[in-house]
Parts: sequence; C-alpha cells; structure tokens
Amino acid sequence: MILQILLSGIATGCIYGLVALSFVLVYKATEAVSFMQGELLMVGAFAAVALTAAAGWPVWLAVAVAVVGMALAGALVERLALRRAMGQPHLTAVLLTFGLGLMLRGGVTTVPAATHSAHQLPLPGLMGQVEVGTLTVSLAHLGVIAATVLSCAALAAFFRFSRAGLALRACSENPRIAAMMGVSTSGMHTLAWALGAALAALAGILMAPVTFVHPAMGVVALKAFPAAVIGGMHSLSGALAGGVFIGVAEALAGRYLPEGANHVTAYVLMLVALLCFPRGLFAGRAT
Amino acid sequence: MRSALTLIGLVVLTVLALGLDYGLGQLAFVATWAVAGLGLVIILGQSGQISLGHGAFLAVGAYLQAGWVAMGGPALLGLAVALAGGALLGALASLPGRRLGGLAFGMSTLAVALIVEEALVRFGGLTGGASGLSVPPMTVAGWAVVDPLHQFAVSAAVLALALIACRRLLNSRLGRAWRAVRDDEGAASASGVDAGHAKLLAFAVGGALGALAGALYAHWLGYLSPEQFGLHLSFELLMLVFVGGASRLMGAVWGAVVIVALPQAIALLRDTLPDGVANMAGLELVAFGLVLVAVVLWRPAGLVR
Repeated sequence: MILQILLSGIATGCIYGLVALSFVLVYKATEAVSFMQGELLMVGAFAAVALTAAAGWPVWLAVAVAVVGMALAGALVERLALRRAMGQPHLTAVLLTFGLGLMLRGGVTTVPAATHSAHQLPLPGLMGQVEVGTLTVSLAHLGVIAATVLSCAALAAFFRFSRAGLALRACSENPRIAAMMGVSTSGMHTLAWALGAALAALAGILMAPVTFVHPAMGVVALKAFPAAVIGGMHSLSGALAGGVFIGVAEALAGRYLPEGANHVTAYVLMLVALLCFPRGLFAGRAT
Repeated sequence: MRSALTLIGLVVLTVLALGLDYGLGQLAFVATWAVAGLGLVIILGQSGQISLGHGAFLAVGAYLQAGWVAMGGPALLGLAVALAGGALLGALASLPGRRLGGLAFGMSTLAVALIVEEALVRFGGLTGGASGLSVPPMTVAGWAVVDPLHQFAVSAAVLALALIACRRLLNSRLGRAWRAVRDDEGAASASGVDAGHAKLLAFAVGGALGALAGALYAHWLGYLSPEQFGLHLSFELLMLVFVGGASRLMGAVWGAVVIVALPQAIALLRDTLPDGVANMAGLELVAFGLVLVAVVLWRPAGLVR
C-alpha cells in the first residue's frame, strides 16, 4: 500500500520536476519568471494528440515531432516577444508570459474538438498495469519515471559534454564573462527557451496517459513554483528533486491527512522552504 | 488639478455614453479597483517588491465583510475589520520572502493566494464553498446603498480617502524608507533604514487596501465565489498597475479605468462577430492575452514612467 502511494507520488513528482526544470532553465538563463510553462505543456500534449488522432501518425513519431516543434515554437516566441522583457523588472516578463499563456489557452479552447471531448494519448506499452508480488503497478507511472530519468540523463550529458550546453551554463553563471569568451548570449537565451518549451511539452505528453489531455491541464505547472523554490530556484537537479519531493508529499498527504490538505501541501511546503531554507532544501554547498 | 478635471470629464463621458445607471455602476467598479490598485502601486512602485497573489487580499476583505454583515455588524465598521484582516494577511504573506526579497515575495504571495483560494472552497460552512455566497447590500446609518449613484458615491469617497492616506504615507518617513529600499536596499540599510520592516509594512498597507476594495466589491456584486479571486484577478491587478503606471498613485486610477473598460470592449467586439465562428470563451481569453502582450511589447518598462 505505502509502496504504491510512493510510486504514484514519484510519478506525479516527475511531472512536477520536469516542469520545474523547464522553469528554472529559463529563469537561470534569462531571469524571466515564466507563467506560460503550463500552457506550453498543454499545447505540447495537444500537438501530440492532434498528430496521432487527426493526422494518423504513429505515436512515437508524433511525440518526437511535438517535442521538437515546441522547441522551435519556444525559440520563435523568444525571438519575437520575450527578448523585449530582458533587463526589465520581473513584472514585465511575468505579464508577458501570462498574456502569451492566455493566448495559447484561449487558442486551444476555440477549437471545438479540443473542448468537447477528453483526449487520451495512446502511448503503446504504457497502458494497463502489472502485478509485482502483491503490488499493482501502473505502467503509465513506471513509464513517466523511466522517461524522466532518460531525458534528465540526456540533458545532463548535453550540459556536460556539448559546447552549446557548456555555453548555456556559462551564460547562466555570468553572462558578461560568457559574452567576453565568445558566447552569443542572445543565442543562448533562445536556446534556453527552446529547451524549456521542449521540456514542458515532454511533461505534458508524459502526463497524457495518467490524466486526460484538456485545455486546463496547464494548472499543474503551478506546482512547478514550489518545486523550483524547494530546489533553490537556481539548481536544475534541485528543481527535479523538489518536484519529486512535492509529488511524494502530496501523495502521502492525500492518504493520511484530511481531505483537501493535499491541494495545499505544495504551497505550504513552499512557504516553509522560503522561511527556513531560503537557498533551497538541497543547497549543500555555497555557490 | 489637471488630473481632477480629466477625471470629472471621464465621469461625465461615461455617464453620457453608457446611460446613468449602468455608467455609474461601472464607475463604482473603477473606483473600487483603483483602491486595490493603490495597494499594488505601494508594493510595486514605491517599495519595489512584487505581489503575485494580490487577489487573495481582495478575497479576504470580501469574505470578512460578508461574514461581518451576515452576523449583523454595521457595514462601515466591517470595512475597518476587512482593512485589519488584509493588513494582517499582507504582513504574514510577506514574512517568508523577507530574507530573500524580490522574487521570493512573489512566490510567497502566490502560495498564500493559492492556499486562500483552496480554503475558501474547503470551509464551505463559512464561505458557501464553490457554490458561492450572497451578500446583502451595504447599509450606512440605516440607509441601504443599492442605487448605482450611491454605490459610486461610496466608492469614490473611499477612493478619495485612500488616496489622501497614501499621499500622506508617501510623504512620511515610511514613504521615504520605501523609496530608499526600492532604489538601493544596501544603501538604505547603511543609512539606518530598517529594510525588512519597511517591506513588511508595504505588504501590510497593500494587503489592507486590497481587502478594503474586496469588501466594497462584495457589496457591489452581491455574490461571492472563490474562483472570482483566483490567479486571474491577481494578474488583472498587475496589469492595472502596469498600464496605469506604478510610479504614481494616480496610476492606479487610470489603470482601473482600462481594466474595467477592457472586458466591455472585448464583449462589444465579440458581438460584431457572426454567431458560431468559434468558441466564445476561448476568443475572450485570446483577446485579453493579446492586449496584454501588445501592451507589454509596446512599452516593456510600463506605459507610464
């Protein structure tokens, strides 16, 4: 029983963690507080659903195209709009991303097919359950965890071994010195938004087998803020760990605390983290 | 003086364009939003911090006022109760962000707003839960404020008092402390300004003004439900301040005009579209988002400097 709760908590937490990762990636590189990650997630999931259900593409191809497409869209939006918010107070980026998010959500809502029925993304191999001893494990949960681990490993490798990853890290640490070393900081901002949008879309697609795909599914991204804060706002691995932490805490609260407590668990944890661990729960060493 | 004349002109124009009752009703909302906007002007423009959950303060004011009136308390005293409740919540919401400042305030107010929204749904016995709560009209000395003219008069009076109070605050030691913290927190602290205290008071004043506006709003609307006070409201208030200008108090009034007029304009625009073009709820979101994005892209640093 407890194992099952933990497992589903970890799976939900992986989704939170991926969204938080996309948020922190963008925040570190561009200082922009994004309120549109939830909408990017929703559009990514809808893109995959539309490509499989309406265009009849194979699921894996549709997923790959949706993620790459969202990366391109993120880069495009950065070039066209978000660039203008650079160097302004937080309010500018907050309002700009919120407005863009409203446009995305409104745009999807205007499509009758999107609102009239609930959609599911039939990811093969992720439907149904398996019995492990006395434990009933949902394959969707296992799939989410596996996909998160794989994509984070890929991201870590990108940051560690590729030139672009190194440049992006340098740019997040100190944009001035990075620019002096020949890194195109504006290019890095575009790259950060592209990666952020792709990660959010991936989270949306992974959510699809667990919940349904609908225009309001972006609210899940609100949980990315607590995850990012618990992770210290500046740490990618911290954001992921914060997400998993919140997912597990919510699952436990849903089981052992009175009804409704699990809805506020994440935000209470965020307040506690701000009060007691302002540098994040996992801030081991000073940076 | 010029802004007072422009305001009077605006009132006359609104009443002429929209008719007496409807026009005055809308102006009552403008004045109410302006009171809430004043609170954000103090937090954003004066002390340089950010509140991402200002809707929570309006919610607390509205529900406190509704509860107070339902218990038979006099409405005007209820405004004071709402004011105190908002100040307390504002101070509490700012506590977690105090050590970090800046974005941490945004995060802590956001968390408080989401918790308040959930609490309003959860404690349905007191708040009517998700199905809502109806609020009786305001009575002042045995005289019910139901007429739009009277509603406008009450809101305008409250707004005028709030403006005077804020002006006095800005010219006081506290106001100077806010601006010093906004411009350079380190230098302010070095000059003997207690920055943490100044920021706490900014959120207390901002929360109090938000709750005051919420209390009036509860009476004008006559019906409360938790989703009115969600994230969307907080962002509308931020947009209000961005459009009107955070650097001066009158910015809240001009921003409030835009925020009340915008949904009306969008509704007018929608009526010109032929039926069944697309899902209307979605189009309204797109239009609102489009205006917001256009305004921010046009003047990323705020409309008024």
